[in-house]
Amino acid sequence: MSQRSFQAIIARMVVDPAFRAHAREQGLAGMADDLTPLEQQRLLEVASDRGMHATRLIYEDFRLSKLYIMLPLTRFLLGRKRLAREVSAFWSANLPVSYYFLQEAIDFCNYLQERLRSGLRVKYLYEIVSYERATLELQRPRLPAETIPPQTVNFSYDPISLFTQLSRQQRPRAVPPLRCTLVGTLDEDENVQWDILK
Amino acid sequence: MNSSSSVPKLGIGLLYQEELRPFIERERQRFDFLELLPDIMWTDIGYGRNPRFIENRVGIDFLRQFRMEMPVVLHSIGFSIGSAHRFDREHIAQIAAWYDWLKFPWHSDHLAFMFTEHAAADMNVGVTMPLPYDEESLELLTPRVQEMRARVPAPFLLENNVYFFKYSQQDFDEAAFLNQLCERSGCRLLLDLHNLYTNCRNHDDDPYDFLEKLNLENVLEMHVAGGVEADGFYFDAHSGVSPPEVWELLDWVLPRCPNLGGVTFEMLGSWMVDVGEEGLAAQLARMKEMWMRHQPAPQSLEATA
Repeated sequence: MSQRSFQAIIARMVVDPAFRAHAREQGLAGMADDLTPLEQQRLLEVASDRGMHATRLIYEDFRLSKLYIMLPLTRFLLGRKRLAREVSAFWSANLPVSYYFLQEAIDFCNYLQERLRSGLRVKYLYEIVSYERATLELQRPRLPAETIPPQTVNFSYDPISLFTQLSRQQRPRAVPPLRCTLVGTLDEDENVQWDILK
Repeated sequence: MNSSSSVPKLGIGLLYQEELRPFIERERQRFDFLELLPDIMWTDIGYGRNPRFIENRVGIDFLRQFRMEMPVVLHSIGFSIGSAHRFDREHIAQIAAWYDWLKFPWHSDHLAFMFTEHAAADMNVGVTMPLPYDEESLELLTPRVQEMRARVPAPFLLENNVYFFKYSQQDFDEAAFLNQLCERSGCRLLLDLHNLYTNCRNHDDDPYDFLEKLNLENVLEMHVAGGVEADGFYFDAHSGVSPPEVWELLDWVLPRCPNLGGVTFEMLGSWMVDVGEEGLAAQLARMKEMWMRHQPAPQSLEATA
């Protein structure tokens, strides 16, 4: 059993810097009661080891790359500093559960959508997050006989103008208001296709 | 070494990445076998889910065709053999099902744990976390390797891990631990020379000291790769070409591994832009030249079937 506690604590030190700092400064009291003296000694040593910083960098790089690759428009729209803040808050509330990129990206979209509902203000972010989330939803792995229903995303701004500016790596400005719905489906080759319903 | 652990002399391998696919399909004369992370050919929905492994149709179609032309070996990332909270027999069953299909000459995974638990939920650190080189770890690993070997009738290799910190007061040094693990469990080794170089560079150790102590008869495959320096550490980032020290290690160790089946070059697909097809071809050519100097000529696909 103590191996189990040892691994859980050392892994949490990687994903949670505050937890690691607490272990380093306050010790292991209350974390697990079945650790051997040697395991306790090793955990305290590792908590202070520079190598744990390197391990954390790998963890961050891998986890962040999932969002960078899967959500390019959301990332661009948020900008580097705000993305870092939101990712930090998302990570502190959501432990890594999967090796795979898609679920992590969808979970981050859900987090951002909730943030938008509770007061986060970034122009066009609602449309872009919803669009990228719907695209990922269409790309979810599925069984051969399973079908994925069309995904709909409501826009309040002209999607053509918005996507054109984003594709030029421009921060979108003065996008004309336009209420419309985008409908996403998969074609025969499993490519995502979007239609605009005005 | 018993006969169930012998493998064909395949030669030079390349790790499959989606971005390398055009090169792989067009330049297949430059390498002798394809190594595949099976975990990217399926999505693992999670332990206990049914179905758990949803296979990627496009990837499977490619593999169905490619396996007719070249041997394929599996190098998995998803087993987490060192996880203390769970022995993942579902993963073994998936590898066994793929063995029935692909009949790979060997397969491998990482000597580490990635999965653990927090508040009764699964957590995947996404980093191959090191196990202490202790008797207790051997007791954890040995029956798991034995069960894998019983279920999948191909040699099972474990890869020496990268670690950025060392546990104190370990029962064994790394080489002695690997020797013991092979002797007790029957697994063999995937000797990642770039991992070895990374560890030795970060901890100021001598890689040749490690190699002198390691029973090289257990080495059935080797990896070479490139890495990057950042924040005062050197990282096994699979980023571009191998450094000169790794080539020197390969040249030294190749003639000393009598049971070696292949040497594989690992590179993340995103680095293809920097390395280029010519650069990748040059890495493979250098590996091939060394292989031909120190090992028997690779066997044909028919001979390995």
